[in-house]
Amino acid sequence: MEHRTHARALHPHRRTWAIASACIAAVCCTAVVLLIAAPGVQGKAGAAADSAAGSALSPEAELGRQIFFDRSLSASGRMACATCHDPHFAYGPPNGKAVQDGGPALKSPGYRAVPSLRYVLNYVPVWTHVRDTNPIEQLTEADTSPAGGYTWDGRYNTLSAQAMLPFFSPVEMGNGNVAELAGRLKHAAYADTFRAVFGKQIFDNPAQAVQKAAHALEQFELQDKSFHPYTSKFDRWLDGKASLTAQELRGMRLFDDPDKGNCASCHLDQKGANGAHPIFTDFQFEALGVPRNNAISWNADPHYDDMGLCGPFRNDAASKDQTNCGLFRTPTLRNTAIRTVFFHNGAFHSLREALRFYVERDTNPEKWYPAGPDGKVEKFNDLPLRYRRNVDTFDSPLNLHRGQKPVWNEQDIDDVIAFLKTLVDEDVVNKEGTANAR
Amino acid sequence: MQQTLAFRSKKRCSPVIRSFRTAVLRHAPFMISLLRSVLIHRNRMPHGQIHRASLVEMFLRKTRLFHLLLLLVIALGLSAASGTLLFAKGKAHHKAGIPRIRHVFVIVLENKDYDQTFDPGSDAPYLAETLRAKGALLTQYYGTGHNSLDNYIAMVSGQANNRATSADCGTYAEFQQTGTADDGQAVGEGCVYPANVKTLANQLTDAGLSWKGYMEDMGNDPARESATCGHPPLNAPDLTQRAEAPSTAVPEGDMYATRHDPFMYFHSIIDEPACAKNVVNLHTLKTDLQKIATTPNFSFITPNLCNDGHDSPCANGGPGGLKSSNVFLEKWVPLIMESPAYKKDGLIVITFDEGGSGTITRTPLETTVTIAGASCCGQQEGPNLHGKYPDEQRRISHGRLIVKRTLSFGGDRTGALLLSKYIRPGTVSNTPYNHYSLLKSLEEIFGIDEHLGYAGQKGLVAFGPDVFTGD
Repeated sequence: MEHRTHARALHPHRRTWAIASACIAAVCCTAVVLLIAAPGVQGKAGAAADSAAGSALSPEAELGRQIFFDRSLSASGRMACATCHDPHFAYGPPNGKAVQDGGPALKSPGYRAVPSLRYVLNYVPVWTHVRDTNPIEQLTEADTSPAGGYTWDGRYNTLSAQAMLPFFSPVEMGNGNVAELAGRLKHAAYADTFRAVFGKQIFDNPAQAVQKAAHALEQFELQDKSFHPYTSKFDRWLDGKASLTAQELRGMRLFDDPDKGNCASCHLDQKGANGAHPIFTDFQFEALGVPRNNAISWNADPHYDDMGLCGPFRNDAASKDQTNCGLFRTPTLRNTAIRTVFFHNGAFHSLREALRFYVERDTNPEKWYPAGPDGKVEKFNDLPLRYRRNVDTFDSPLNLHRGQKPVWNEQDIDDVIAFLKTLVDEDVVNKEGTANAR
Repeated sequence: MQQTLAFRSKKRCSPVIRSFRTAVLRHAPFMISLLRSVLIHRNRMPHGQIHRASLVEMFLRKTRLFHLLLLLVIALGLSAASGTLLFAKGKAHHKAGIPRIRHVFVIVLENKDYDQTFDPGSDAPYLAETLRAKGALLTQYYGTGHNSLDNYIAMVSGQANNRATSADCGTYAEFQQTGTADDGQAVGEGCVYPANVKTLANQLTDAGLSWKGYMEDMGNDPARESATCGHPPLNAPDLTQRAEAPSTAVPEGDMYATRHDPFMYFHSIIDEPACAKNVVNLHTLKTDLQKIATTPNFSFITPNLCNDGHDSPCANGGPGGLKSSNVFLEKWVPLIMESPAYKKDGLIVITFDEGGSGTITRTPLETTVTIAGASCCGQQEGPNLHGKYPDEQRRISHGRLIVKRTLSFGGDRTGALLLSKYIRPGTVSNTPYNHYSLLKSLEEIFGIDEHLGYAGQKGLVAFGPDVFTGD
C-alpha cells in the first residue's frame, strides 16, 4: 500500500519534470485552435494527411480530418484546430508565443500555452483523485496526486467534450452559439459528406450536428496515425534499429537518475510490459511554481491567477480543494525539443531555460523570481501566497536550498538536451529550432 | 485430486509419482511371479492336488487379467491414500486432527483493523455479520508488518520484512541475498527473492497439488503488466503502484497492484513457464470453479485496489474501502461456496494484509501519526530490518510536517474469518494467529511437513480444534 521506496513515482508534488512542453493555447483549454494563418495549415491536412496516407480511417474520422483543418468554422474565418495544433509541429504551436490570439478579429489573447496533441490522446485517463481509504495512510504514505482528464486542468473526460471548448471560446474560434457553428458546418465544403455520414437531416438539428462534428474530430484524433507515429530516433533505438550516442545515453541517465534529474518519475521513459514505447507522461498533476509570465496580458491584473486544477476555468468539486491549487497536468516530452514555448504559461522559450529552471529554481531563486515588496525573492509568484505551499519542494531536484549546488551543470544540461532531441519525430525533426538549444 | 490425474497424464505427474510409477512397472514381472508362487504354494493340496483357488489363478493368468489386476490394485492403493506417494519422499501426508480439506481459497483485503471490520457498524456487513455467522472468527489474527508487501510475502514464504518490501517495492528490484539466517530467513534487502527461496506454491507443486493466484484486473493494461504472471521488468519502476483510471486505450482501467500479488516476488515462481498458467486474471476463477478437476487445491485471490478496500474513492469511480470489499465478497464468496470443490472439502480464509489504525495528533506546526505495529505469537523482526523503535520518519506535505512514529515491527490486529463445512457456524477463536500461522496451517492442511521461514518458528501454533469445530 505504501510507495515510499518509489515515492518519486507517486508523489503529487513531484511532478518534477513537467518540462511542460508548454501550455495550452488560448483560453481555457488546450484544444485546438488558434489564429495566425500558420504555414502549412491549409484547408487540407499537411503532415497529418501525409502520414495518414494508407491508414484506414472510418468515415467519421475522415470527416473529422476535414473539420480539423477547416478555418471556415471560426468566427474569424482564419482559425482552425490545426492553426494552433499544427501537424508540422507535432500538433503543437507553430511559434513561440506564450499564448495564441483568437476571437472574431484574432486579437483576443489566450490564457495558456498550446500543448502538443501527439501520443497522449488515446491514453488520457478520465480525471481522478484516488486516495488511500484509511486516514492514517493518507497521512503517512506518499501523497497521491490527481491524474487524467484532457487539457492542462483535466476538466474534460472525453475528446469530444473537450472539442466544444475551442469551438465556442471567445478567444479561440469564437462561435457565438450552436446554431452559428451548425450553420458554418452546413456550408462547409464537406457538407454533403457530413450528411452522408450522419444522415440527410442532420443539419435540421443544430445541437446534434455540432455533437457529431465533435465526435468526428475525436475519431480523427484517435485513429489517424499522424497523432502517434513513433518515428523518433529514440523509437528506433528501442527497436534496435539505431544507436544513441554516448552523450545521448548520458543524458538519458541524468534524466532517469532519481537523485539528479528525476525526470522519469513523471515523464515515464521505459518500455511497457508488452513492449509498448513510452509516451513520457504519467498524466499526473504537479505544482512546479513556474514564474508569472507578464507576456500574458491577463496577468496585468494582479487579481488574475491561473491556478490550474482549482480554476479559474475549472469549476467543479475538485476545484474547491485548496491542495489542488497550482497543479497542472504533466505533458509528454516527445517532440518537446522543437518547441519554443514551455510550461502552462509559456514562461520560457528554450529547452535549456526550462531545464535550468528545474535545477536552479531552489538553489538560485533570484534568477527566476522578482523581489517582493520586502525586497526578498518572491518564489512561486504566479500563485496566491496561501497556495504556494502546494508547490513541490519534496522531490529531487526541487528539494534543494538556496546556495546549494544544482544537480546539473551546463554539460549535464547539454547532455539532457541531446537525449530529448532523440524524442523528435522524423516528420518534424527539421523544425527543430535553434533557440531551444541555446 | 491431482494424484489421480497424475496417473492419467504424464505431463502432469510430479517427479515423485513418476519415479514410483517407473519402479512399479519395472518390477511388475518379478512381483507377479512372486505372488503367483505364493498363491500356488499356499493352495497346493497334499498329494499334488490343486486347490480351487489355483484354478482361478490359472484362469486369470491365461486371460492376462492377472497382470492387469495386480497393477490396478497397486494403482488404486496409491491413489486412494492421498499422500501415500508423498510419504515416500517424506514431504506431505495427512496430519491427524486436521480435517481432510483439499481446496483452500484465501482472499486478502487491505489495511483494516479488526475493529473497523468486525465491530458493529462495519461498512462490510456481509463479512462482519452474514459470513461471520457461518464460520469461524479469529479475533486475534495479526498482520506481520507495515506496509502491504511484506505481509503478502510472509503468507506464502515465511520470509520476514526487509526495508524494501516494507516500503512496497516501488522499484521491482532483485533481492540481494548475502546469507541465510535461522528459520531459513534470507539475509539481504530487495524485492524479488532468488530461486533458492521457496514458497507454498513450490511446496504444493512438489507435492503434486495444484495452485493458482487469481488477480483482479491483471493485464487490463498490457503496457503495465501482462495478463498472466504480470509484473514489472526487473529493477524497473513498478507502474502498478497506482491504479489507472479508464481511458480510450484501456476502457476498464487497471487497478491491479503487483505488490498485492505475492507470487511475483520469487524467482522460483516467475522464472517457471507454469507461472503463466498459475497466476491469472480473476475472471477465470468462475470457470475453474465449475468442476472439482479444474479447481486448484490452493487459490489465492487478490481483488483490485478498489475491491480490496485500499483505495477510496477508486480510479474507476467506485466508492472503495470496505464498501467495495463487501460488494466483492457478496459476489465471489457465494460462487466459491456453491462450487463442487468447496462443498466437497473446501475452506475459505478471508483476512487483511495489515491493520490500519493509529493515533493522530495535530499541533499548529506538525501532524504526528503513531502506529503501534503490534504483533503476536512471538513474531520475530527478522534479520533485515534492524529497526530501532520508536522509528520516526518525517516528510513535508503541503507545507506541513508529517511525523510517522512506529512503535514496533508488527502489522497490528486485523482478524480473519474462515468458512468450511469443517467449521461449526458461529465459531469464535481468541487464539493468537498471524500470517506465519496461516502459512503453517496451510502446510499442515496439505500434508506438507516442511515449514517455510517463520512458519517453522519454534512454538508457532497452527489452526487447530479451536477453528475446526465441525463434525
